[in-house]
Amino acid sequence: MTRASLILKNVDITFEGALSSEEGLKSWLKRKLLTRNVDTATNYRIEALKGINLEINHGERVGLIGLNGAGKSTLLKVMADIYPPTAGSVSIKGHVCPMFEFATGFEMNQSGWDNIRIRGLLLGMSADAIEEKLPEIAAFTELGDFLDYPVRTYSSGMFIRLAFAVSTSINPEILLIDEVMGAGDISFAEKAKRRMFEFMEQGKILVFTTHNFNLLNDFCTRTVWLHKGQIVADGPTDEIVKRYNEEHTNAQ
Amino acid sequence: MTSVTRLFIDSTRALKMWRVWTYLGVQDIKAKFHRSFFGPLWIVLTTGFFVTGVGLIYGLLFGQPVHEFLPYLACGFALWGFIVASITDASATFVRAEGYIKQFSYPKQIYLLRTLISSVIVLLIGIAVVIPVQLFFNEITPLGWLYALPGLALLIMAALGHIAISAYLGARFRDFPHAMAVMLQMMFFITPIMFPIKLLHEKGLGFIYQFNPLYYLIDVVRHPIIQGELALPENYLYAGAYVLATWVAALLVAYKLDSRVVFLL
Repeated sequence: MTRASLILKNVDITFEGALSSEEGLKSWLKRKLLTRNVDTATNYRIEALKGINLEINHGERVGLIGLNGAGKSTLLKVMADIYPPTAGSVSIKGHVCPMFEFATGFEMNQSGWDNIRIRGLLLGMSADAIEEKLPEIAAFTELGDFLDYPVRTYSSGMFIRLAFAVSTSINPEILLIDEVMGAGDISFAEKAKRRMFEFMEQGKILVFTTHNFNLLNDFCTRTVWLHKGQIVADGPTDEIVKRYNEEHTNAQ
Repeated sequence: MTSVTRLFIDSTRALKMWRVWTYLGVQDIKAKFHRSFFGPLWIVLTTGFFVTGVGLIYGLLFGQPVHEFLPYLACGFALWGFIVASITDASATFVRAEGYIKQFSYPKQIYLLRTLISSVIVLLIGIAVVIPVQLFFNEITPLGWLYALPGLALLIMAALGHIAISAYLGARFRDFPHAMAVMLQMMFFITPIMFPIKLLHEKGLGFIYQFNPLYYLIDVVRHPIIQGELALPENYLYAGAYVLATWVAALLVAYKLDSRVVFLL
């Protein structure tokens, strides 16, 4: 068995570009030909992550906390090898299972069955393994006959059921979760929670973002606190949560 | 890890995941004709109507014998459609896959191959239309179809180069597909598809196709199918050189943009 690990060294992520009205060919030519110095007023530069050093080893469960826009989701996407770091290096050992946006990445005109197959393939399952697990996944979604319908007829809750069922049917090594606890209606949310807990137990490494401290205490021994793209604190969960709460109650 | 090695590793990983991109490519075709009555038969119908309509009029206009001209036209039309798709449709490759790219860490090259698969399927259906046309005029040479295979391989490789260039540039410059559509429309009139090359020769306008790389790509497939013999050796050479050029350009574009694609969507 390989030992899973995630090592980030001095990772920066900088979003750079022009504002939407300035993205065309015309403005590109204008910038290239007419002006040498880039007009800063129409360009943005956001340092989403700055100098992140983080080592997560086999068996660790890590929670990410921080205010909205602190860089939690960006950090998860770096760990998933979706965002290549602007500077620094990332080393990932183990098969990553990202659980991010559950409402995108569907083929709208294809049936629920086909979408299960596509997501399965993209999550690294073999075609045979998918066919084998298909009944189990279908049963978990409780979508019944709706699986024969093209997914454009689905409600957002149904999308979540489908995506959640596929994502949690694989055997994860590194599990990255971005705020998906509130999935679906009451009956599904309960079921999803149980499945999620089982799933989280299986992962060799778990990293997730949350604003729910109970969840954090239940699952994570270690918590990383992000603020404005930088790590403020990294340590045992109860200690970090205490500091985090103090900081934000004092601010009020 | 430098971006060149990363690109190389990603591309080989993508090739190995053939199950994923063939599946997605075939699904794209199914989705395209989803709930339509004729389904993929529309590809046949489009070619069929174009060939009979244009063929009869232009055949008369250029004084071409219909039994030679119609198969020539059908073949050229299918090949041209493939080239156009590999440039204009392909520019939406990454844009269309946004939901996947932002969620799964798969090598982005699988989406290029997915586009290639669906365009090749359309090409094969389109080119098959030539068979009944040839049978109807009793002009078919089965050996010629075999001779078309090396040319077809070159054409498909060139298309992969086109798709890569268009996909990356299409994600960066949203004007790209529109600009290409205009350019290809003009190219359509100067590429020998609706007229045979000997007409250009007679008028001393041979340069119009001789400097057109797309002509060579088409000729290496069309000439064997229509004439039942291999195309001129130098035409394979020109087509091959063009493939090489597109691949070099594709590598440069990918090298520049690969790591930025996810931020551009």
